[in-house]
Amino acid sequence: MSWRWSVLIAAAACAALVVILAKGFGKDPHEVPFMLAGKPAPAFSLQKLDGTGKITLAELKGRPVVINFWATWCGPCKVEHPVLDWGYRQYARQAEFLGVVFEDTVDNARSFLQMSPTPFPQLVDPQSQIAVDYGVAGVPETYFIDAQGVIRGKHVGPLSPDALTARIKDLVQPVAQAR
Amino acid sequence: MGSVLPLAILLSTALGDFAPQQAGSEPLEPALEARVQKLGKQLRCAVCQGLSISDSPASMARAQLDKVRSMVAEGKSDEEIRAYFVERYGEWVLLQPEAHGINWLVWLGPVALLLIGFVVIARQIQKKPAAAPEANAEQQSKRPAHAQGDDDEYLARVRAELER
Repeated sequence: MSWRWSVLIAAAACAALVVILAKGFGKDPHEVPFMLAGKPAPAFSLQKLDGTGKITLAELKGRPVVINFWATWCGPCKVEHPVLDWGYRQYARQAEFLGVVFEDTVDNARSFLQMSPTPFPQLVDPQSQIAVDYGVAGVPETYFIDAQGVIRGKHVGPLSPDALTARIKDLVQPVAQAR
Repeated sequence: MGSVLPLAILLSTALGDFAPQQAGSEPLEPALEARVQKLGKQLRCAVCQGLSISDSPASMARAQLDKVRSMVAEGKSDEEIRAYFVERYGEWVLLQPEAHGINWLVWLGPVALLLIGFVVIARQIQKKPAAAPEANAEQQSKRPAHAQGDDDEYLARVRAELER
């Protein structure tokens, strides 16, 4: 092997390494990919926290849906709580709002909601099976499902009023306009 | 919001707000439970650092392992269960990446590097020291004129001095 070939192979190996490292360092290693955007939202039928019956995703078809996964042990969820309350009052005519209690006890969730009630239904997800179906990787996470039952996206972390407004606007637009 | 969030996290941690440990689903019969644990070892916990859902104590991992258990109980194949998690969390969720596309680099890269190393070493071992005589001749020519050969006058005088 001539020295030219050796140099060429070494340069190719270095270039490949640089590309791989650049790709790797360009990402947040803690960020969990979300693959369900643009796909049909997994169906569910969950009991309401107040014990007044069940809610299924199917019965909400034709209306955009905002689903918030939260827990009482989650500090950022408590920070987000008033934003969702405000969001519901502001946008209840445009979208359905639902809360899903994640990895928490019914008693904890009820006690918290007695002190800080929400105007929208809260649901119980036994053993977090619906959370896993939706690809939840921590709380708070909020999913935005359009009127056709397709997941438009999710917001990881506490929502701000601006972020919620932008998401709702996107949600009520037809798919072609949104892209 | 930016300044309130760290404070909220600090307060909730200080006040002991932790996820209450939920009981996992009941283990299946031994053969099926072994499959659950084996599959769990292959799936990355979403909230941990490089831990599988079988090894992690996190509540999220327990929920994911419960999902594996329910799918195994439903009679789903290992491939279907892996596909379910990849569909939601991407290939990131697999602790052992699938061998296809650019992933081949991960599998074949170390082998290729080893082979290249062996080739380089083999070539170095086989190489004959052919350049040595030439190099000697070159060195000889670089020496000062008075230091070359036995007939060098200076050298002859030194030898004569030493023999006295």
